[in-house]
Amino acid sequence: MASEKFRRQLRQEVEDWWSEGLIDAALYERLADRYQFRRLEQDASNRFIAILLGLGAILLGLGAITFVAANWQLLSRTAKVVILLACFVGVNAAGFYLWRRPLQTGWQRLGQGLLLLGALLLGANMALMSQLFHQSGEGYELFLIWGLGVALMAYSLRLVPLGILALILVIIGYCLGWTAWIGWDRASWQEFSGTRLLVQHLPLLLSLVFVPLAYWCRSRVVMGLSAAAVAISLVFNLRPLSIWNGAPLTAGWIGVIAFVLPPALLWSYRDHLWQYRPVSAVPASQPPSPLSQPLLQTLALWFLAILFYVFAFRGFWTGIELTRDPLAGWDWSPLIDAVILGGVAILGWLRIGNPFRWRQFQAQHISNGSIAIGLIVAAAFFLLGQQAGVIAVVAFNLLLFLLALGLIRDGLALGHRATFWGGMVLLVLGIISRMLEYDTGLLLKALVFVLCGIGIILAGLRFERSLRSRPLPSLPPSSSEEIS
Amino acid sequence: MTSPLPLDRSDVTSPEPQLVPEVPAQLPGWRLWLPLLMQTALIVAIPARDAYTYATGRTVVLQTAPVDPYELLRGYSQTLGYDISRLDRLRQLPGGEWFKQRSQGTIYVVLEAPTTAQTKPPQAWKPVRVSPTQPQDLSANQIALKGKFNGWQIQYGLETYYMPEDQRQQINADIQKIQQQRQQQSFVVETKVDSGGNAVPVSLWVRDRNYRF
Repeated sequence: MASEKFRRQLRQEVEDWWSEGLIDAALYERLADRYQFRRLEQDASNRFIAILLGLGAILLGLGAITFVAANWQLLSRTAKVVILLACFVGVNAAGFYLWRRPLQTGWQRLGQGLLLLGALLLGANMALMSQLFHQSGEGYELFLIWGLGVALMAYSLRLVPLGILALILVIIGYCLGWTAWIGWDRASWQEFSGTRLLVQHLPLLLSLVFVPLAYWCRSRVVMGLSAAAVAISLVFNLRPLSIWNGAPLTAGWIGVIAFVLPPALLWSYRDHLWQYRPVSAVPASQPPSPLSQPLLQTLALWFLAILFYVFAFRGFWTGIELTRDPLAGWDWSPLIDAVILGGVAILGWLRIGNPFRWRQFQAQHISNGSIAIGLIVAAAFFLLGQQAGVIAVVAFNLLLFLLALGLIRDGLALGHRATFWGGMVLLVLGIISRMLEYDTGLLLKALVFVLCGIGIILAGLRFERSLRSRPLPSLPPSSSEEIS
Repeated sequence: MTSPLPLDRSDVTSPEPQLVPEVPAQLPGWRLWLPLLMQTALIVAIPARDAYTYATGRTVVLQTAPVDPYELLRGYSQTLGYDISRLDRLRQLPGGEWFKQRSQGTIYVVLEAPTTAQTKPPQAWKPVRVSPTQPQDLSANQIALKGKFNGWQIQYGLETYYMPEDQRQQINADIQKIQQQRQQQSFVVETKVDSGGNAVPVSLWVRDRNYRF
């Protein structure tokens, strides 16, 4: 159904057309039926009622909270617990039954809002309960358990907003827990509690709870957020860099795992990775994977762009002296996640098969093969670590500029604006960073700025012209090769 | 023959593919009530052990450590330290050499009831020894309290308190007075400790005034 605003405008227009004699009554009727002009007023009134009800519910909730706050000292502990739980159950039940009402979008939306409020009340109740009994629990534990509780409801109701909320709560819990874990807030780290495992194995937790939830709800947002969080938490849990912990680049293989595994996983993951299928017997028309495929590869490119950009700075490879054993105080438990997710990545690359195909590379420069080469080169230099020195700096700069040029070329060849501009920004960022990093004269700086500016303007104009000259944005046919 | 475009293709595919196949109207009631029950269990589980300790535990009085005058009960919650929270205090006890070997872990502190009769405020129990495992051979006037050693102090889950505004000011004035007069022993916390060594706070004594939680 088209948006209400559009339907209102259309109704206005159609009435004009009718009065001007452009269309006849029969056509008018058909349009009125198709766009349900007669329900416009009813929808508006429903929405009005829903807004009033929502406002009323918020005021009632505020009233209840204020009442409890006012009588906090007078109420017994049991009474407080009963009031809190009754509010929680009441809001959720009201939300569910309103949401379930058939064919009334206004009510459904209100119900959804109440269900979200119920999810927030879960956290409020947990916090108040802990406070009632003077427990010294930590904030991150609350967020983690709360998020998992909300995920439960999201699974049962298949409600995307609840899934997103749950994911955000778990990520907040992880961020707070991570700072406690690495020692910035050591006092609040609960070394002996089970929530410790949730922080240390967040990549696994996300893969097991939220990635299936994304499929269950058919939600790209949940999928993208989970995948990004898996990649980032892998890096942060393995702590390959010591800016976070006081020592320089740690033992190379940790760098390899932490920096190469996430993009390899994101790039190779497919929705149908788990279906058993002999590699040779791929059906000719493999259905496209709508949830993860283009999305996760985009995330992989983002990851690689940031990785290449950061390690193209010379400071990472030269001039840092190891002051102490980098593995002292290092936690080994995140390696479990890395091994399991590494298995998934290997499975994904096995499904890709031989990534080095010339035809594929011709069609798209940023393809399986070039990504594989980039990952292998990066891995080699992380293994070598500081021994590589200047060569590593050159290599990462090459990787950065090749990635940028590849994106620009693919954007041009496929007429895809986002790819083109992504590559353009990366290229300019790379050039300017190198110029500022190395001691260059003011004149050269000016020249580089001017050239970059002219380059962007010319490239942009050319790209837009070439885009306009195409009849329609044509998509390459989905192929069996990329999975074979 | 190419792989799909790596970058966002939302302009050609629908942004949220295939709407949720189930219409909410068809959802049976248990789809709400089952997770709601589990969520409620989650909420109730938070105070469950405390309630058990509260119901079955023995009353134990703990000596507080001096409160930093600038950190008196301020704001929303307050952290209290105890005599037995201090590492240097427990190190002197039998079994205290454990702290030299380990940098963190669970320990049990055996406390002994005071011999004198009921007083106001009640007298604090005395720590007599430290054990890395739960001690079984306790006499009738002893109890074991479970604590977590985090590297520099020992926590018993009795450290955080939430006070109402009006009580807070009075307690603050009382605490300041006894600290100026160096009568720390008249500032104690009454707790309940169950057979597993878990503790919940019951009330706060400042001189002869009793503040229940």
